[in-house]
Amino acid sequence: MFKNKDLKTQKKLVLVTFLFIPTILILLFMIYPLIKLIGLSFTNWDGLSPTYNYVGLKNFKKIIFDSPEVWAALKNNGMYFIGHIIFIPIELFLAFLLDNRVRGCKMFKTITFLPYMINGVAVACMFTFLYSSQDGVLNNMLQYFHLNKIGWLSDPSIVNYSLTGVSLWRFSGVHIILFLAAFQSLPSDMIEASIIDGANSFQQFYKIVLPNIKPVIEIVLFLNVRGALQVFDIPYVMTGGGPNHASETFTVQTINTAFQYANFGRACAMAVVLMVIIIAFSIIQQKLFNLKER
Amino acid sequence: MEAKIEPSKKTISKNTKKKASGWEILKILLFVFIAAIVILPILITLFASFKTLPQIGAESALKPPTALNLENYKDVIKNNHVFVGLKNSTILVVASVVINSILSTMVAYCLTRFNFKLKKVYLAVFLIGMIIPGTVTEISRFGLMVNLHVYDTLLAPILIYVGADLMQIYIYNQFLVQIPISVDESAMMDGASYFTIYWKIIFPMVMPATATLGILKAVEVLNDMYIPFLYMPSPNHKTLSTMLFACIQDPRTSSIPKLSAAAVIVMIPTLVIYFVFQKFIFSGIAAGAVKE
Repeated sequence: MFKNKDLKTQKKLVLVTFLFIPTILILLFMIYPLIKLIGLSFTNWDGLSPTYNYVGLKNFKKIIFDSPEVWAALKNNGMYFIGHIIFIPIELFLAFLLDNRVRGCKMFKTITFLPYMINGVAVACMFTFLYSSQDGVLNNMLQYFHLNKIGWLSDPSIVNYSLTGVSLWRFSGVHIILFLAAFQSLPSDMIEASIIDGANSFQQFYKIVLPNIKPVIEIVLFLNVRGALQVFDIPYVMTGGGPNHASETFTVQTINTAFQYANFGRACAMAVVLMVIIIAFSIIQQKLFNLKER
Repeated sequence: MEAKIEPSKKTISKNTKKKASGWEILKILLFVFIAAIVILPILITLFASFKTLPQIGAESALKPPTALNLENYKDVIKNNHVFVGLKNSTILVVASVVINSILSTMVAYCLTRFNFKLKKVYLAVFLIGMIIPGTVTEISRFGLMVNLHVYDTLLAPILIYVGADLMQIYIYNQFLVQIPISVDESAMMDGASYFTIYWKIIFPMVMPATATLGILKAVEVLNDMYIPFLYMPSPNHKTLSTMLFACIQDPRTSSIPKLSAAAVIVMIPTLVIYFVFQKFIFSGIAAGAVKE
């Protein structure tokens, strides 16, 4: 009895001491900013003055009904999203091959994941060089084949494709590694049994492997939604959102609204909108996946 | 166990062997192509970092440099805060990795070993954390940092790196659940307190996870540009990432060869980490996604 009571106080002591600092950190740096973000989205705060006024839904109305540039930016995010979606089947296929189905798969696995390890700013430097209109590697190659130069980063109708390409270069490897990990976690006798039943590689993949790695596909899709909606460093470093705002993404615009145009209230509202979009997407995605299951 | 795995591998390879070896070659060619796409931009940058500006214009980017010309590197180091960046990045990495591993294991220990009232709240917070887009909430976190008087100090990024990393706690949870509770119980029989169990048993036992997560965290911190960019604008608080960003905007170093040299310098730390600790990195990424 006495010992039990002793344990109880000990447990309380452990909980308090172990959770005190992390809880404060989470409250301070996660929950509080979130609440404040929502609160500020109804104000006209400029980020500096000590006072601000509540303006109701004005910020949201402005963003949704009177900001073609916000929609244009979201469209740019959409390009990253679609680019990565198109690559998912390819990534799945490559991961399937990397799962002991190609010679030298260990080395290829190392190379596939390499881009993700490289500093994003360095990646931006590398591709600025490749895309450069004067001495750029890609334009030199085009010239070699007697083709016209392309304004990879200066042509508003091309710049987003170029930047999406950088994003694909950098992040496809992560998806491949995630898929590969999922493949390797499948019990080997499952595939073995299907081989005995006479399934060919394609059937193995489509009927056995794919349904069993659905959770990982869902995670990758979720990461894609989050990632595509938050693209920041690639456009910010490589083009600064230019030429003439053509490659601005939602996050670049939000940051500029806050720090360049000192309109924190509206920037917070934009952040809230982004959050709502992410939540909506994940709900839709979950619904879709459950629908298929039935 | 061994015997069971062996035949399955054989059947798989047999299965692929049946098809023409042309398919085998095609697969390898495919991956050689992918490897080229990955490696060429890096190689071109490395080559360019040893060339002069006229050379860049005159010769093919794929042509290896004829001499090991270190002028670009010297210029970058002279004109920019390379060593400051290296120092600051190192401090950020060490501080956030050490603090994170201790705090996260403590939380995971509490979450997996005890039942308490706030447990459900904690688990709900995880869900919220997954949905919050980190990049944009920075706007409201910014004011907080200014009010706490940590703006433009190394403390600001450290607090963010250790304060809101729920993913690490989540992965630690997976590892801790796998340690049978009987381990705790037998230690308790020997008179160990909860504190002793955590520090002498649990913490050492999750060391493999700590290594993995620490390496992933180190890479994340080294490669992050956004948070140091927002919170540490002054030159003596540059990290490797923001130093490189400053190089791009500095007319003295924004030419292709000099920028390439700067980019190579910034790339090196994470690439070294990658090639040395590759196994840990892969297992950590798998742990986040595959284990339910």
